[in-house]
Amino acid sequence: MRGARLTRASGGPGAGRAAARAAVAALQAALAAEQAASYGYGVVGSHLAGSPSKFAAAAADCVAHERARDSLAALITARGAAPRPAEVAYRMPVAVASPGAAVSLAVLLEQQVEAAYLAMVAQPEAEIRAFGARQMQAAAVRAARWNGRSQAFPGLGDRA
Amino acid sequence: MMLAMTASGTLALAGCKGIAALGPVPGIGPGVRALDRAIRGEELIIASYQAAITALAGKAGPSAIASGVLAEHQRHLSALRSRLVLPPRLATASPAPSPVPPALPPGAHRVLAALAGAERAASARLLNELLLAPPPLAQLMASIAASEAAHAVILAQARGA
Repeated sequence: MRGARLTRASGGPGAGRAAARAAVAALQAALAAEQAASYGYGVVGSHLAGSPSKFAAAAADCVAHERARDSLAALITARGAAPRPAEVAYRMPVAVASPGAAVSLAVLLEQQVEAAYLAMVAQPEAEIRAFGARQMQAAAVRAARWNGRSQAFPGLGDRA
Repeated sequence: MMLAMTASGTLALAGCKGIAALGPVPGIGPGVRALDRAIRGEELIIASYQAAITALAGKAGPSAIASGVLAEHQRHLSALRSRLVLPPRLATASPAPSPVPPALPPGAHRVLAALAGAERAASARLLNELLLAPPPLAQLMASIAASEAAHAVILAQARGA
């Protein structure tokens, strides 16, 4: 189901096709980030097995990313495109050999996801924009639970 | 991202033909109104934190957390204000009164809970407002909404500590 458009259409059918391509590209970018986060939380959890509460938190966050990933795949399919498959393995942005490094990785994964959703928030379609904004909120909440800190501009960093 | 929103884009084109050449003053669009509400929301929450920091004097931990979050809200307000360009008539006609924050409950624990509630409410409001905004402003609003949701987590952790 297509959401309401928020801005005036600026051209004919060609412009409509370009807008649809931009929407799918934004969804694919967010999907790629969620696939990487789902994989990454497996690494996070494997180093937190000594702490039942932290391991459970990692498992819950992994499920949240998998659900977002599946929702994004459904949004892409609904627009007549094929969701890009996940990679077999991902290089993590930091080496993880301790519980502390695992927590740092969890925060980094959330920050990557926040940034990836920005392109969806720039889309005119309300469904896509609202999904991206809600997921940015959820990622910032998870990051704050891991490290007890906030950022002034999640996803944007110093670009705000 | 340097997008300034203006309610008077046609004024500069009118040259020196006098006020009659301007035609009707264009209305203020929904994006500008959403931005204005977001600015007022930040002003209100900043006033709440300033009152809270006074109320939390002597409680080093909670006071430091409130000060850190206040600094992030001041950055939010600056970023939002930099997106707003109003014609001089609107900018000076009625200087907005200083916002009066709701009264804080007694006790550090309840002050932090009240702030967390204000953060969650502000974050939820922005999620609706950003649907009306042009893309770069929507991205800023989504980022601020995410920051505010994280603030609520930090405040809750501080209560538990």
